[in-house]
Amino acid sequence: MIPYEIEQLIPQRAPIRMVDRLLEVSEGKACCGLLVNWRNRFLELDGSMSAEGVIEHIAQSASALFGYEARQAGREAPPLAYIGEVRNFRCLRRPHAGEWLQTTIRTGPTVGDVTLLTAEVKINDEVIALTELKIAMV
Amino acid sequence: MTRQEIETKVNSLLAEEFEKETSDITPEANLKEALSLDSLSLVDLVALIQQTYKITIPVADLHSIQTFNDLYDYIEQHLPSE
Repeated sequence: MIPYEIEQLIPQRAPIRMVDRLLEVSEGKACCGLLVNWRNRFLELDGSMSAEGVIEHIAQSASALFGYEARQAGREAPPLAYIGEVRNFRCLRRPHAGEWLQTTIRTGPTVGDVTLLTAEVKINDEVIALTELKIAMV
Repeated sequence: MTRQEIETKVNSLLAEEFEKETSDITPEANLKEALSLDSLSLVDLVALIQQTYKITIPVADLHSIQTFNDLYDYIEQHLPSE
């Protein structure tokens, strides 16, 4: 059980907040969820989320993990982090309004302020996106 | 794994990852300069070594790895025993 509300963990706020809950954290791994609602800013006319929206959701999921680690270390303000690079992004299908995204983030090596992550986004058991990204902390 | 095997494999991996010619890679060349590494791409180097050799390079150790020779030495010294 994660004892924090999502807005205690990430700096983003509605309408651009793209994570509803941090569901689980274990060593070097976090799982986040988002219910795609009709007001989502990344929805296109056909009701599907843009690939940029999926990437933003992944980046905010990573941010939730860093925010959790900061809280556990006794810091209150969620850390600011920027996407340094997105690599090998594959969007197998775009999510639609009403669907629940569940994203697993795995952390790789960190050099200085830059951390390499891998992410997998699922809807139920279907993998809909995969990527690697670099997050730079400030 | 011999030293020569390490050198050959590392050179090939790095040339492919950072889109360089293997001829750009000489033992005494500076890693960051030869591979055009910046703070973002340095993490790729660390990840590549970790994935290939199961060796984690802490940041403190990274400062002492300046040349390709330093990197070969580091890998040779930290290879997990089979």
